[in-house]
Amino acid sequence: EWDMAESETQLMLSVGLIEKDVNADTLWVWCYPSVSAELRDVLLRKCCLTLDSLVLHTFVFGQYYRTWYYISTVDVQEPTVLKKVTHFSVVITAKDFNPEKYAAFSRVLCRMYVKHGNPVKIMEGYIAVLTKGICQSDENGSFLIRDYDVRKAYLAGSIKDVVSQFGMETIILYTALMLKKRIVIYHPRVEALLEFTRALPALAWHRKDWSILHPYVHLEDRELESLRSCTGYVAGFVDPEVTNRSDLFDVFVNLPDSEITISQHAKEAMAMGKLHKEIGHFIVQSAEDTDRADVQVIKDISVKTKEILNNLVSLAEEGQDAKLTLEMLKQRHFPPATENFLFRLAAAEQLLKI
Amino acid sequence: MEEVDRILIHSLRQTGTDIDDDVQSIKQFSSELIVEAVVRCLRVIDPTLGNGLSPSLPPGMSARFRVGMSLAQACQDLGYKGESGYQTFLYSNEPEIRSLLMFLVEKLPRESAEALDQPAGKSALLQKAIAAQIKTQLALPWLPPSCRLSLHCKTQSSGPCHSFHAMQLSLPYSLKAPTKKQAKGRCNFVKEYWREYLLPVTSQPSHHASVPASLLENHASELSAAQEWESEWNSQGLLSRLTPEEYCSRKRARLQKRIEEQLRAATQPRPDTHSTTRSTSDLTDLLNSFGGTTTGVDILAKGTRFTHSEKFTFTQEPEKAAQQMAAAASILPSSHQSEEDLKAKQEVEISALQEQLQQLSVQMEEVGGDIRQLTVSIHQVSDELKRRELSNSEKEDTVRVKKQTINLLPDAENNLVKLQSLVEASAKRVVYLASQWEKHRAPLIDEHRRLKELCSNREMESSRKLCEIKDLHDKIRQSAEEAKKKESLYKQLIAEYDTLPKDVSRSAYTMRILEIISNIKKQKEEITKILSDTKELQKEINGLTGKLDRTFAVTDELVFKDAKKDESVRKSYKYLAALHENCTQLIQTIEDTGTIMREIRDLEEQIETEHGKKTVSNLEKILEDYKAIRQENSALAAKIREGQV
Repeated sequence: EWDMAESETQLMLSVGLIEKDVNADTLWVWCYPSVSAELRDVLLRKCCLTLDSLVLHTFVFGQYYRTWYYISTVDVQEPTVLKKVTHFSVVITAKDFNPEKYAAFSRVLCRMYVKHGNPVKIMEGYIAVLTKGICQSDENGSFLIRDYDVRKAYLAGSIKDVVSQFGMETIILYTALMLKKRIVIYHPRVEALLEFTRALPALAWHRKDWSILHPYVHLEDRELESLRSCTGYVAGFVDPEVTNRSDLFDVFVNLPDSEITISQHAKEAMAMGKLHKEIGHFIVQSAEDTDRADVQVIKDISVKTKEILNNLVSLAEEGQDAKLTLEMLKQRHFPPATENFLFRLAAAEQLLKI
Repeated sequence: MEEVDRILIHSLRQTGTDIDDDVQSIKQFSSELIVEAVVRCLRVIDPTLGNGLSPSLPPGMSARFRVGMSLAQACQDLGYKGESGYQTFLYSNEPEIRSLLMFLVEKLPRESAEALDQPAGKSALLQKAIAAQIKTQLALPWLPPSCRLSLHCKTQSSGPCHSFHAMQLSLPYSLKAPTKKQAKGRCNFVKEYWREYLLPVTSQPSHHASVPASLLENHASELSAAQEWESEWNSQGLLSRLTPEEYCSRKRARLQKRIEEQLRAATQPRPDTHSTTRSTSDLTDLLNSFGGTTTGVDILAKGTRFTHSEKFTFTQEPEKAAQQMAAAASILPSSHQSEEDLKAKQEVEISALQEQLQQLSVQMEEVGGDIRQLTVSIHQVSDELKRRELSNSEKEDTVRVKKQTINLLPDAENNLVKLQSLVEASAKRVVYLASQWEKHRAPLIDEHRRLKELCSNREMESSRKLCEIKDLHDKIRQSAEEAKKKESLYKQLIAEYDTLPKDVSRSAYTMRILEIISNIKKQKEEITKILSDTKELQKEINGLTGKLDRTFAVTDELVFKDAKKDESVRKSYKYLAALHENCTQLIQTIEDTGTIMREIRDLEEQIETEHGKKTVSNLEKILEDYKAIRQENSALAAKIREGQV
């Protein structure tokens, strides 16, 4: 039966193969249909094979100019048909964010390559998924695209862990996300970084926008350019140097030390008041409730956000073109921090009169 | 014995004794010769002892006697352990004379007192010569100029001293040809110049006095340049794996570039206020920027002129400033107004300024608020813009796809099937192309990896070889130094050997000594062998005697026991006893014969020695001399009696 998985098939962009050989050379050996030279450089950097000290990261993912990349790395064990190859990585680029789907798929492709030593097999698997949405795996069953829904990907991150690590300070992250600010997160281990950062956009569930997520960025010009092309972002770095780059963030999260700092130039915008305290309490309460799962916590937070937004919208409707102005806000005599917050939130939600 | 005599005769000849050429051995020495030899030896050994004695024997017997006694005494004083008296000299015998002369010759002082215990090299010799010269010159007393002799003028006046003034010399073949082509090109001209026109080095400097200085300078600079090149080549040149010419040319290019950069940077116009002071410190800065800190220090030390001029220009400045202050003070209006007016004026001013301040702060706040609002709206607008752009591109894509679908829609079923088959076919073709590509790619990648491996192996190889080359260089250098040292040592020893006297052949002596040593060794072996043989024999004899006694005792007892009863046994007993008796006598006789033979040998030896002592002739001589002395005595007595009368 022909199973064309809707418009999702257009989501995969390319598949590539990086190998590390006995000469300690890391090379792009194969790709289909094509990967631009710039992207190839970036992916070589992300692939852990270029590092001198080989710390094998089985699966990393990230974003570069709205292209998501997913890299699975495998260490070649004897006996094998692959001569002179010590490690290799299978890279899949796509338009959508779905780490689980592409992790499973790339694992299947890795196993195929280890078994046959021939990239043509990878290509066959890729084309099969592209055209039919299904790929026969030699080992355990087959890989079906439709098993991996994007909503599941969005909800796979654990908000409860975030709240348990930061407690009340989670409200800073919430505020920053709502106001579309720039958050930078630092952790020396990339796996921890990926796990933490992917959960954050769920705090602004009403937008369902994971394009602000750049979970794995290096301090390199082109990658920073790609970062700057978004107004607000959640970016993860493994390089401790990022602490000194205050030009890159409004909020800095030091994950191993569990510290959140708001940079000087953003302090005024991120001023928080009674409203924030209330929301913060609510988030912490909901997350600490052991009966409620992650999904429900996210739902609770989104309900609360909806409340605030509804208020704002109702305010706006009184004005011209259903747009809000600062004077209208001032008439309500909110406390100054709340007024500031609502004003900026309106701008973030496209409710402000220009 | 002949060699010993020859050596003795030779040594005695060296002390000045006049020995005839045909005298080959001590036996042929006459008393006169003996006395002369001894006296000359004594003179060499100890001049105080020997100068009182005359080498020739006086004719008178008593004088001879006296001479003999004094000589004997002198020899005793020197430490001669053997017996010596007047008889050793006047009535000599060979062995005594030989031992005495050997003792004296050994006492002779060795010639090479100042032995060169350390072989000195050429430079050490030169230094010693210089030291000796200076010593002699210093030993001369200083005389005031008027009293100086001409030969002192050279060393004691300051005239001959010249200051060390070196000039550039031009030597042929000292310039390195950069390339072969250039060398050929200027070959002829330059060679002609060197041949025809170039003055010899000694006439090149303007003053003759600066010739040694110039030569020293030239040599020192060449030597240091060569050493520097050696060290640089050994450390960096080899590592760069270039040929020497390439390395040189690269270094030159690098230095040129650096100089160009520095000059260019220095000539950039600088936006400075004090142009006058800048020009003087420009040069120092420029020069400083060329080299490292060392050059900077030198230049700073020399730059006192610059700093002087700087000081001068700076001292002008405070004067100017003072002038300016005075002018400004005069401009200020001289206030004759009262204090209250002043205060009021000031207060008005203050309030006006405060109002201004307030207005400005209000303005600033407003502006700040505006800025904030505008920033926020900018955010919103840019966000909106980005979103719209994205959605635009997405919509474009969807529109395109939908357009194509619409085109295919009329014949939906067929088209669907066609599309399916098309997709399948394309997929198959793409896979086929991929496999084709793989056929090409795989060998290329393998080749790449193989070559990379080769390359890294070669790198390792070459670095290993480089190490080896370095080691070899070190070894070469060491061996060259050793060879030089050994060559100089060899030359020096050859020179020494040439100066040594050739009349006495040392090799003959050494050969003979070695022969004697081997002979002695052989003799020692033989003696030990004989001793062991003798011991063996003695043991055997002892054993046999013991056995004999025991056997006899046993037989005796046995036979005696039976002898009491039997007559024949008694007779045999008697025979046994007689036999034993006779054999014992025989043995005794043999032993006695042996002893007597030994005595005969000893006596024969004694006779030989006595013969050698020529005692008979000596006795005759003594008798004669005794008679002569008696005659002399009587003559003297007669003279005395005559004199008394």
